[in-house]
Amino acid sequence: MKQLFIIAITLISFTGFSQSKFEKGMTKGFELWQEGKQWEAANLFERISQAEPDNWLPPFYVAQINVLYSFNEKDETKLTAQLKKAQDFINDAKAISKDNAEILVIQAQLYTAWIVFDGAKYGMTYSQKVAQLYSEAHKLDPSNPRVAFGKVEWDMGTARFFGQDTSSFCEDLKKAAALYETYEPKGPFHPKGGGDYAKQALAENCGE
Amino acid sequence: MNLSRPHLILAVILTFLLTTIPYDTFAQTEISGTVTQKNGTPIEGANVYLDGTYDGGSTNAQGQFSFSTGEEGVQTLIVSYVTYEEFMMAADVTQLNGLTVTLREDVNSLDAVVLSAGTFEAGDNSKVSVLKPLDVVTTASALGDFVGALQTLPGTTTVAEDGRLFVRGGDAGETQIFIDGIRVFTPYTPSTNNIPTRGRYSPFLFDGITFSTGGYSAEYGQALSSVLLLNTIDEPTQEKTDIAIMSVGGSIGNTQKWEKSSLSFNTSYINLAPYIAAFPDRNDWEKPFQAFAGETVFRRKFDKGLFKMYAAFDATNFELTQEDINIPEGVNFKLNNKNLYTNTSYSGTLGDSWKIQAGGSFTHSNNKVGFLDNEIDNIENSAHFKLKFRKRFSNRVKLNFGAEQFLTDFNESFDNPFIDTSIDSYGFNNNITAVFSEADLIFSRKFAMKVGLRAEHSQLFDKFTISPRASVAYKTGKGSQVSLAYGDFYQQPLNDILKFQQDLDPQKTQHYILNYQYSKNNRIFRAEAYRKEYKSLVMFDTQDPFFDSNFTNDGDGYAQGLDFFFRDNESIKNVDYWISYSYLDSERKYRNYPISTTPSFANSHNLSVVGKWFITDWKSQVGVSYQYGSGRAFTNPNDQGFLQDKTKGFNSVSFNWAYLISQQKILYFSVNNAFGFNNINGYQYANTPNTMGNFNRRALRPAADQFFFVGFFWTISEDGTDNQLDTL
Repeated sequence: MKQLFIIAITLISFTGFSQSKFEKGMTKGFELWQEGKQWEAANLFERISQAEPDNWLPPFYVAQINVLYSFNEKDETKLTAQLKKAQDFINDAKAISKDNAEILVIQAQLYTAWIVFDGAKYGMTYSQKVAQLYSEAHKLDPSNPRVAFGKVEWDMGTARFFGQDTSSFCEDLKKAAALYETYEPKGPFHPKGGGDYAKQALAENCGE
Repeated sequence: MNLSRPHLILAVILTFLLTTIPYDTFAQTEISGTVTQKNGTPIEGANVYLDGTYDGGSTNAQGQFSFSTGEEGVQTLIVSYVTYEEFMMAADVTQLNGLTVTLREDVNSLDAVVLSAGTFEAGDNSKVSVLKPLDVVTTASALGDFVGALQTLPGTTTVAEDGRLFVRGGDAGETQIFIDGIRVFTPYTPSTNNIPTRGRYSPFLFDGITFSTGGYSAEYGQALSSVLLLNTIDEPTQEKTDIAIMSVGGSIGNTQKWEKSSLSFNTSYINLAPYIAAFPDRNDWEKPFQAFAGETVFRRKFDKGLFKMYAAFDATNFELTQEDINIPEGVNFKLNNKNLYTNTSYSGTLGDSWKIQAGGSFTHSNNKVGFLDNEIDNIENSAHFKLKFRKRFSNRVKLNFGAEQFLTDFNESFDNPFIDTSIDSYGFNNNITAVFSEADLIFSRKFAMKVGLRAEHSQLFDKFTISPRASVAYKTGKGSQVSLAYGDFYQQPLNDILKFQQDLDPQKTQHYILNYQYSKNNRIFRAEAYRKEYKSLVMFDTQDPFFDSNFTNDGDGYAQGLDFFFRDNESIKNVDYWISYSYLDSERKYRNYPISTTPSFANSHNLSVVGKWFITDWKSQVGVSYQYGSGRAFTNPNDQGFLQDKTKGFNSVSFNWAYLISQQKILYFSVNNAFGFNNINGYQYANTPNTMGNFNRRALRPAADQFFFVGFFWTISEDGTDNQLDTL
């Protein structure tokens, strides 16, 4: 009985202990983000990325927060600063993890943020790059829902811009959205979000 | 308790673990302080942490931070926040409390002051960008020529019959063009009287254009008035094939990409015969204009740099007879031009704070010209080599320096069966060596300065010149700034003089520029006042420069004026427009001028209005541009004086329409001078008076009042998104 007790304690304390600084930090980061303190979360991820120079996830999330919160930014100075910061961290993440579809998707989203801000100025050069990045990411990881959904959504947006019929994209969009249900993240803290947005986008674009 | 030995060990380990973990949290040191701007305003959201650890926090609205750490001894505290320079401090953790950290503004951030006097840029992320890359091809009057698009900016003069850039009272030869920092010796397709020329190089190869109308960097020399800097694309986005079918010809291009390198080529063939057959003009074409051009760019990325090689070949020929008041049967003119240009450059980094740029260009140009009974054949071989270093001492102090060498070998032969000339071939070798150095000093986000010096030695003249250049900029408010620039500029006379006389001095200008710029919410306003002094301009005592002319450097002159530019992309939805106005006052005594007067290529008022409207429902972009230039001077021999009369003003309204059939197929229409204004570029007078004692005259009108263009552009690429909007 005593032995069992000790073993139980050992297990508990080992699980407690095995939650490393990294895991605690990352968990705290996501908590902050969920509480709406995204900039504090970004700061924390930035600190983790300094302490863990061989892990691509912390710089990836710094970039992701800076990109995501640029989409509604109207102040050019602020937007430029955020996207420049995001680009620096994408570069860091890319240097750590080569041929990573998730990083290519963030890069594509960064260019998209510029295009959304000023299409006349950035559309011509960046739209080609975005398309190129999605097709590269697709080659690397075709079952990744963020890759598949991002690609179809981009192609659909382009077709709409050129006044083409977009209903043919709905089937692909639905398929891509379904990948969110089946795709297994490659490890703890690996990107897994986007499913809710996909449902919403599917409803808006295809009425499903 | 009856524990076996292994259990005991386990228990000890556990006890140790259980006690050390809390111990860790108990022996914490508190780190705290406040982060502010220089003026004491707290900074919220700054990231404060110990380098290499997880310990840190963000500042609150009062700029305060506080966190605890288990680290001991000396640690590095880092404070970072966007648009500010990172703060670092190493100290024992026990000392790191109650700190006051003042962050220095990052002088390279977007809202920092820029040295904008005299400079217009077209680029993606340029701070002084007034034109966007796409403007070159979507400006109605430009017809895909980058020079045409620049002619809608202030500081340029409308000289419709020429097509080249005339900047602030300067003639076309006073502007130099550079590709990737390397000089282009023959940038324009050759033409003849009253037929405007075009830039030789297709706009789709370039993604950055800087047009300086004065006061430019010490890196550039041999230009009295202006420099135009074109940068080729570093990396194409994808593999593709471009096909264009136009009312004047066709082109085909292809781009291939590999992991580290890429290769693009483009060939085009232009023939105006069908167009002239459909819309005859005022010339009598024996052989309508035809041109074959091929261009290729190879790029290779290295770990620390980028290598680019650009080569272009083109062959142009035409023959026509133009009306002439003195020669009833007209003047026959034929031209055959072959031009080869190669440009090789490498740019890269050397260690942390050094950058290197090295490059060279070679030009071979052969012109065979026949007019009346004269046969002129010339060959120019020119080269330019340049090596430049950039040392970054800090974000605030940077130094550029370098050296360059220009080599020109020009030979011409002249033949006329009815004239017995003692000299039938002549030419010159012109070598210029230059060194330059320039420092960028950024004192704060509000105040910056650039000072430079350029020294040149001309082997031909055996003359040494020194040109100081300086500019300062001061930010007067959010979005507004004032800048000042000064510079001395030297340029040798051009080939048309040097081929007959080499014992001359360089010509000189001095620029003084005051610039004000205000930008906010996709609107930009610029105003610029300038004064330019010309000295040592070349003069001669014959109608045109010739063997027996007497040449001197006795000419001089001035140009002064005001330029205004306003662009607005915000006020009207889907509409982007700009307005340029220039006032110019210029007089000069040069060439064969008997007095100092306003030259025929300078006028007082120039106005351009350019608008673009994207109509989503029509899948179309419609563009319109209006250009006005006040009258230009001509000499009327029926009155006393020289260049004493003025033509009426020049007016032209142009339209274009790009229709996107699908993502990769574009149909394009354009018409220049849609309303058919009767423009007169000048007059030609008879050499001898008529029976009434008056000199008859003939108006020099454009070959055609209007020009129509239709094109179909098709891009084939793997992912089907690229198109040729940027080549139109």
